[in-house]
Amino acid sequence: MAANRSQGSYYTLFLAAATVLCSGIYFWSSGLGKLLLLVGLAGMAGSLFGMMSIKSLEGRTAMRPSPLAMKLIGAGASLLGWVITLFGMHLTPSVSGRIFLALVGIAVSLFGILVVLPAAFNKKAVWKS
Amino acid sequence: MKSMSRMSFIILLLTIGLAIGITAYAQAPAAPPTATPTAAPPPSASTAELAAGVAKAPATSDLAKGDPGGSITGNINDVPVSDSKTGLTLGDTANQVGQNKIAINFVWTLITGFLVMFMQAGFAMVESGLTRVKNANHTYMMNFFVYTVGLFSYWLIGFAIQQGGSAGNGNLGGLQSLSVEHTTTLFGKTWGLFGGTGFFLSGHTYDVGVMVLFLFEMVFMDTALTIVTGACAERWKFLAFCMASTVMGALTYPLYANWAWGGGWLAQLGANNQLGHGYCDFAGSGVVHSVGGITALAVCMIVGPRIGKYNRDGSSNPIIGHDVSAVLIGCFILAFGWFGFNPGSTLGASAAGNLRIGAIAVDTMLAGCTGTFGALLYMWIKNGKVDYSMSGNGLLAGLVAITAPSGFVNTVGACIIGLVAGVLVCLSCSFFENALKVDDPVGAISVHGTNGLWGVLSVGLFADGTSNYGGAWNGVSGSVTGLFYGDASQLAAQLVGISTLIGFVFTFSFLVNLAIEFFVGHRVSIETEVAGLDLPEMGQLGYPEFVFKPEPDVLLHAEKQYAVA
Repeated sequence: MAANRSQGSYYTLFLAAATVLCSGIYFWSSGLGKLLLLVGLAGMAGSLFGMMSIKSLEGRTAMRPSPLAMKLIGAGASLLGWVITLFGMHLTPSVSGRIFLALVGIAVSLFGILVVLPAAFNKKAVWKS
Repeated sequence: MKSMSRMSFIILLLTIGLAIGITAYAQAPAAPPTATPTAAPPPSASTAELAAGVAKAPATSDLAKGDPGGSITGNINDVPVSDSKTGLTLGDTANQVGQNKIAINFVWTLITGFLVMFMQAGFAMVESGLTRVKNANHTYMMNFFVYTVGLFSYWLIGFAIQQGGSAGNGNLGGLQSLSVEHTTTLFGKTWGLFGGTGFFLSGHTYDVGVMVLFLFEMVFMDTALTIVTGACAERWKFLAFCMASTVMGALTYPLYANWAWGGGWLAQLGANNQLGHGYCDFAGSGVVHSVGGITALAVCMIVGPRIGKYNRDGSSNPIIGHDVSAVLIGCFILAFGWFGFNPGSTLGASAAGNLRIGAIAVDTMLAGCTGTFGALLYMWIKNGKVDYSMSGNGLLAGLVAITAPSGFVNTVGACIIGLVAGVLVCLSCSFFENALKVDDPVGAISVHGTNGLWGVLSVGLFADGTSNYGGAWNGVSGSVTGLFYGDASQLAAQLVGISTLIGFVFTFSFLVNLAIEFFVGHRVSIETEVAGLDLPEMGQLGYPEFVFKPEPDVLLHAEKQYAVA
């Protein structure tokens, strides 16, 4: 299908809705602000579902569905590493202890990103067939 | 004949003597001042002295004759007087001095911001040059439009999130209207999370200093956004690119930038947790380049490799770019723009230790130099040939890596950082392409992601403790000092920053782009990809009068396979 008018229209709606939503945040303390926020959110949701409705017209892509659970596990491991680092700062006052825990956190995050996620995406990669 | 040769010898001697004399004169040290005052006299300005100064100033009639030597233009009469009845006062003079300081800093920050803005042209040329000719228009357009998309979303909300609570910058006049930082209390300490003023640059943030800061920070943000376009080139749907860039300019980048630069929790690690001076990222190896590179990795994984990049056995095929001149000229434009990126990050040229801008600029150019050496020599030794794309990437890798430490390291440190970056970018490109099967046509993940992380780390290693930006950094007095100069706690702070980039920024970007994949779909169709994105996505070829050379056999075969499957 490639680029088309519908895509342009829905993206315009998305930008307009984002502008209204930000106005809502700016005027949050007033009643008008809350109204603008709701209108903005509704507009953004409308634009997203509009984009989704024309997505199937795109045609086949050179991709195959990959396991969502594995992707989420990879992302979760990445986030877990960050949490380890954050709490590691408060577990010990020693600098070397904090460095060690930060390195552990980085290693856990890298495991998620460099091991789990590539395995998820490459499991049924189209180039393998 | 004998006299002729003697004459020639004498002339030769005279010439050598003259040359030595000229050289010695040129190299002679300047004569010391005849009378060096041991101490400045105490200030003695008074209203009477100021009045006498006004009386001695050149008259209008003198100025009317012209001032070709520039010796009388700009004098005491040019100092604005607040009350014409009392005439010039000491207060007027001091006000003018203060305004001059701010004016110098405004002009410095704006001009360096303009240089950074010009880097968009460099990115466009590098990325487009490294892609195939059938995708040139699409790649150029992504680089062109990302400026607009990013600017708009940053003006809407991004700037408010990033800098909304960053009041107190003396270089730009205080910026007191940026006064709201949303915080949380954890383990008995208050931590900044995101800013809350500056939406639409309206209300109290309609302020001259805020405008200068906005321009400078906006072009930095746009640099991060444009990194992703290169990594996902040749198969990224334009609508998906628009959506991803809008979200990144509005949320992803500003959030991390607030934590590092806007008074957020990473910057507070020193004051709250005694980790050095908190997370230090002078000009954005982490904030700009790693955020861009890591987001590029997340999107690249989702969008998948280009058709024909990998064979069935997992081996990869080179897909050659179409324009070496665009790539290398683009690299030079980027290197030029980097003189805005790093020295400009002082946000001023006057006061608060800002005269270090010369050292920052030299560090920047040296790291680029050794980065080029590192990549060029590595590829030359490894493959027996000089590789233009990796040489260009080596230059950029050195520049990326020196971005965070440029304000804190000496020239030897800068050379080491750049050299390591140059080799690292080659290893990293190979790792992502061959081990992880992540297809990055321009090497953006390695140049910006990997070397951005290396730059952040190198602050904790090489900071030499000689910088003095007003006597403190991130609210901790003294100079930033790394492990090799005696402060291991700074390294700990940098590691927390790296963990946040890998752990939080990647996960956030990954989930956001998974959502975009669900609603929009990142990848173009097989037909579009095989035809090249120029016609289906842009409606016009980048080079309409060119006759395209057929793809190499291996790519043609792969494309046919996909079309049939």
